[in-house]
Amino acid sequence: MENNLYLAWSPDATIQGMGSSGGAVTALLRCALENQMVDAVLAVKKRNNSRFDAVPTLITDPELVHETAGAMHFAPLNMVKIIKEYLDGAMDMRVAVTCKPCDARAFIELAKRNQVRRENLFLVGLNCSGTYLPTVAEQMIREAFGENPQDLAGEEVDEGKLIITLKDGSTKEKDLEELVRQGYEMRENCLRCSYKVPRMADIACGKWGNNGKSATFIEICSPKGHEFLDAAAQNGALVMEPATNEQIEKRKQKETEAVENAQAREKQEIEAFKRYSSEERLKYWLGHLSRCIKCFGCRDACPICFCKECYLEPYRGCIPGGETPPDIMFQLIRLSHVADSCVNCGQCQDACPMEIPLTRLYSVLNSELADIFDYKPGVDIDQPPPLTTVTEQELSIDAPDIIGENSSDR
Amino acid sequence: MSGKPNDFSPKILAFLCNWCSYAGADLAGVSRMQYPSNIRVIRFMCTGRIDPIFIIKALTNGVDGVLIAGCHPGECHYGKGNLYTRRRVLMTKKLLECIGIEPERLHLAWVAASEGPKFAEVVKDFTEQTKNLGPNPLAVLTKQERTVL
Repeated sequence: MENNLYLAWSPDATIQGMGSSGGAVTALLRCALENQMVDAVLAVKKRNNSRFDAVPTLITDPELVHETAGAMHFAPLNMVKIIKEYLDGAMDMRVAVTCKPCDARAFIELAKRNQVRRENLFLVGLNCSGTYLPTVAEQMIREAFGENPQDLAGEEVDEGKLIITLKDGSTKEKDLEELVRQGYEMRENCLRCSYKVPRMADIACGKWGNNGKSATFIEICSPKGHEFLDAAAQNGALVMEPATNEQIEKRKQKETEAVENAQAREKQEIEAFKRYSSEERLKYWLGHLSRCIKCFGCRDACPICFCKECYLEPYRGCIPGGETPPDIMFQLIRLSHVADSCVNCGQCQDACPMEIPLTRLYSVLNSELADIFDYKPGVDIDQPPPLTTVTEQELSIDAPDIIGENSSDR
Repeated sequence: MSGKPNDFSPKILAFLCNWCSYAGADLAGVSRMQYPSNIRVIRFMCTGRIDPIFIIKALTNGVDGVLIAGCHPGECHYGKGNLYTRRRVLMTKKLLECIGIEPERLHLAWVAASEGPKFAEVVKDFTEQTKNLGPNPLAVLTKQERTVL
């Protein structure tokens, strides 16, 4: 079996100092750009040097790649919409994109629908143990940690703790559970997300398993990943060594732990939801949805929404214009459109000015459908979306409520 | 609203496929079969044309049940339209369940052009089922009431 687990770091001391774990991702992106393996790099950089305000940036000059060095847990963005909306789905340019697992999954879902060109994308997956909303994070740093948010130089989530590094080099840590008790919680969708390592991307990078070494643990997930890493190693941009068994074990252990936590949380949420009677559910959702001010934020932020002629527009005749709150069809149309493919990225809920808990609705439906259709959105690019495919076997199943082995629960 | 649930006469919207169920309904009619008159029929060229949005819109606008009838699998005039519908209906039922509308208000059945008696049977059973569910909870709420909840 070909080895696909490595520890990598940049031999360049400056890059190493800027990146969070040996600067491997920064060095790799820079090398890809220098050798014209990609036309551009799409990554996230800080605006005004604030760790709470990230802007996506398209870079074509290798000298500028370092601006995007370092992880950001307090400024969740989604890169997918940018590629799809403003870069023509990467149809005619090769782009390297840094992505969290939810971005990577959204790329896969859009590629299935021919909205982005997967062959032109080099997906640099970054392990993700969850993100905070900037507003929550800022308040948390100020009140729970007692520090000025502007002094923050870095943060990481590890072993159930949030560890922050300040500009003077000192670190402070707090137990995540303790923070939750004080009211500082991660984004809701992150808590239930069980995709911590983006294996659907070309490479999955993270610090789990580096065992304290200033290096990035990289799992290569596709031939393209091998190609890019080989080039970087040959050019001397990256130093790579195969991961030891001990490191692999450590990483596996951390991942399993994180995934189990997330699954437990998801299960708990869904079970709580199932205990509601249908009247209570209707009341709950009508109550929340009646706050909608029809800003279209959820639609515009959603990486999966792609209809050019959108049903939500008044001229389509489904939702009358000039009414707030809009008819509940507004949300239900969106729900029915992304039901099978929601990747739980949480962008809709982040965008919502009325704080409607949209991801809760989507994730419950999504998890129910995952069982019926045996489909996990954004994992396997060769598995077509369940609502736009039928199989030959289904021709011979007569029951109107069964499509396969899993769907017979109702 | 009436106190006795059995006085309730549900309003049911039926989406029928032009090639089979619509002809099946016709056959039931010309054979003078009796079935409840609660259904209002909309004819589709294929059940595959039925967007989940049509179903949801009907229910949020206050019908008490939606019946979809199409060709048996393998007999679709267009090949696989009914198979797509089967998947969409599965999805829509779960969606309705999630937001708190009983999924039993949506029913999918296969009725061929020759199956007049089956059509009458399907309509009878579904009307009975919808009657037992009672009025659509969204139909009894006015727009005003919906927004102040």
